[in-house]
Amino acid sequence: MKTGRAKLAVLMLGILILTSTAIAGPGLPPKPAKLTMAVVAGGETKGLKAILPMWEREMGVKVELVEFPYPTLYEKLVTAFQANASTFDLLIADDPWMPKFGSEAWLVPLDSTFGYKRDNDIFPVVYDLGSWPPPRGPVPPGEGSKARHLYAITLVGNVEFFMYRKDLVSAPNTWGDVVANAKKVNEPSKPFYGFVIRGAKGNPVISEFTPVLLSFGARIFDNNWRVVLNSKAAIDALTFFTKTLKSYAPPGVANYDAAERAREIATGRAAQGFIWPAEITDIVENPSVSQVVGKLGYTLAPAGPGGKHAPLIGNWLLAIPKGSKNQRWAYEFILWATSARMQKPYAMGGGIPFRKSVLLDAQMNKTFPFFKAMADSLAAPPEWRPRTSEWFAVEAILGTHVNAALAGVETPDEAITKAAREIEQHMKEAGYYR
Amino acid sequence: MRHWTPYLLVAPPVLVLASLVIYPLLYNVSLSLRNYRTGEFVGLHNFARALDDPQFFASLRATAVYVSGTLVIEVVGGLALALLVHRTIRSGWARTLVYLLFLIPMVTPPIAAGVIARLIYTPTYGVLNVLLERVGLIRTDILWLSEPLTAMFAVISVDVWQWMPFVFLVCFAGLQAVPIDTAEAARVDGAGGWRLFRHIEYPYLRSLLLLVMVFRFTDTFRVFDHVQVLTGGGPGATTEFLSLYLYLIAFKFFNLSYAAALSLFVLFVTSVAFSVLSRYLGREVSE
Repeated sequence: MKTGRAKLAVLMLGILILTSTAIAGPGLPPKPAKLTMAVVAGGETKGLKAILPMWEREMGVKVELVEFPYPTLYEKLVTAFQANASTFDLLIADDPWMPKFGSEAWLVPLDSTFGYKRDNDIFPVVYDLGSWPPPRGPVPPGEGSKARHLYAITLVGNVEFFMYRKDLVSAPNTWGDVVANAKKVNEPSKPFYGFVIRGAKGNPVISEFTPVLLSFGARIFDNNWRVVLNSKAAIDALTFFTKTLKSYAPPGVANYDAAERAREIATGRAAQGFIWPAEITDIVENPSVSQVVGKLGYTLAPAGPGGKHAPLIGNWLLAIPKGSKNQRWAYEFILWATSARMQKPYAMGGGIPFRKSVLLDAQMNKTFPFFKAMADSLAAPPEWRPRTSEWFAVEAILGTHVNAALAGVETPDEAITKAAREIEQHMKEAGYYR
Repeated sequence: MRHWTPYLLVAPPVLVLASLVIYPLLYNVSLSLRNYRTGEFVGLHNFARALDDPQFFASLRATAVYVSGTLVIEVVGGLALALLVHRTIRSGWARTLVYLLFLIPMVTPPIAAGVIARLIYTPTYGVLNVLLERVGLIRTDILWLSEPLTAMFAVISVDVWQWMPFVFLVCFAGLQAVPIDTAEAARVDGAGGWRLFRHIEYPYLRSLLLLVMVFRFTDTFRVFDHVQVLTGGGPGATTEFLSLYLYLIAFKFFNLSYAAALSLFVLFVTSVAFSVLSRYLGREVSE
């Protein structure tokens, strides 16, 4: 009798194991209770939150989002990685964090571990951004000899492009066109301004100035990380930015961040400026807060004197930390969330897509008039922040001096000279050269 | 056993103090003597570097302007307000109302104060420029946060708004200790406002004022939150105080060793100031 019961128990256990594997899907380990994902607090996760219930319905695995403010997220991730903790199964990372995460080998390579296959519907720059060591540009010392792998795939296809009041001016192709447009409509007494600058110190002003700097043919580093910023092209770019463009901007732009810029456009007080996608959906094309819905056109970042367009990329990437105990399921989630099938619901839910098929879809462009400009910018290809974990220091140094030039505290010449000297000193201390 | 009892009794707070203050301090000292990348011992290199760092001196100058500006305005203003309320408002409920009003800024989180001030000082729609234009004092907007002088004024003003009430409350409490009959006698003898203050009220306030100055000096020297929100240290580096520069070095440059050396400098300056003022304070109290 006892033997019979034992046999029955073994049989039941076998059936249970077989069915759970079947539920999990072929080749997948048993379902985890949940996947924990570290994300940034804010609009970047709007689309993700919209599609999560679909994943949970389809796969039966809960995804718990743990939200942190921007600076805290980086600190939390680094702390978890250093301890190789299994705190998170997934994360979204700002693309300038990739050099640090890649060089420290904190992430699971998606190609060699899971056999990820590249998709033609995704812009090549997306794969470049998630790869380490970087496939182009200077590579940090000691990293060039490492085998290149894909560690992350874009979730938020952020890229900076240009907006203009299409009811008042024509689409600018060059900085010359921008100035001509600004001259035509600028009327401070109204007040109405030809151009609005996001000029606050640090990251804001650098996001704004970098596309100008690069479009003028200047660079911060050469391929050996030597600082080549102190050039005529860079001084010309900064002079153009802080004198010409500023002369058509509202007063006080040296303290403007994204919110102030979007407000100037949304309240109908400025005609042109750079823009990131989230500012469009949240503010300038949001009928509940904007007075200019339907009056804005979007285009590629204007070209400099040499004809170079230099839109700036700022994607948020999905990746799996090495400490995760549910790596296979985390990978399954990445495949699902970035799939062509999910891209439309993701975009309709407020997410920033990155697939060609959605960004170039005529119907989607009627709803989201900036998708074409985004596609053009991603295809340009856009410029990225130099792939070094020292970027935040470089940005802080350059951001201080560009802001000082914008406020009139330093001349463009002084600002570029000082910034170049300080960046070189920092790179030297960081061990990039003697 | 009896011999050990006192040691056992003080052991828990000593252990807490050691783990929360002494260990981090020693760790900080050790960090300041090492290379932040390799961890190798570099002696006083990080301290010597500070002497060769123009940004450090710029931040020190900005901090000195900020600390002296806030300290003078807060102490003089707080004291003047305390005297005004003490001498003019007699009703109990009116005094309670004044306390409550003065408590509001003190309980406001510095970040929130910074955000509110940012809205007030913003050009074009900021309430301050609008008011100044309405009363005809200005014709074009003052760029409060984009010009070096006005940006310094703006960050100082937030500190003054938040912490002058603290000086007021302490001074006001001190004034309650002045014997009414002594003050009345002085008045009868013909003492006016200034002489009444100098010879009758000030002796009661002297030690409190020193105490207030110790607190405000150490607080203003370490200021961070509202400045980060309001100007982020700009324009350029004109409001980049020592604490903001330290943050930049530690969390943007990730040079924790140099940041540790700078933080020890901050500790040294505040400790010296504290000990000097404490000495005066001790003398005042013993007198």
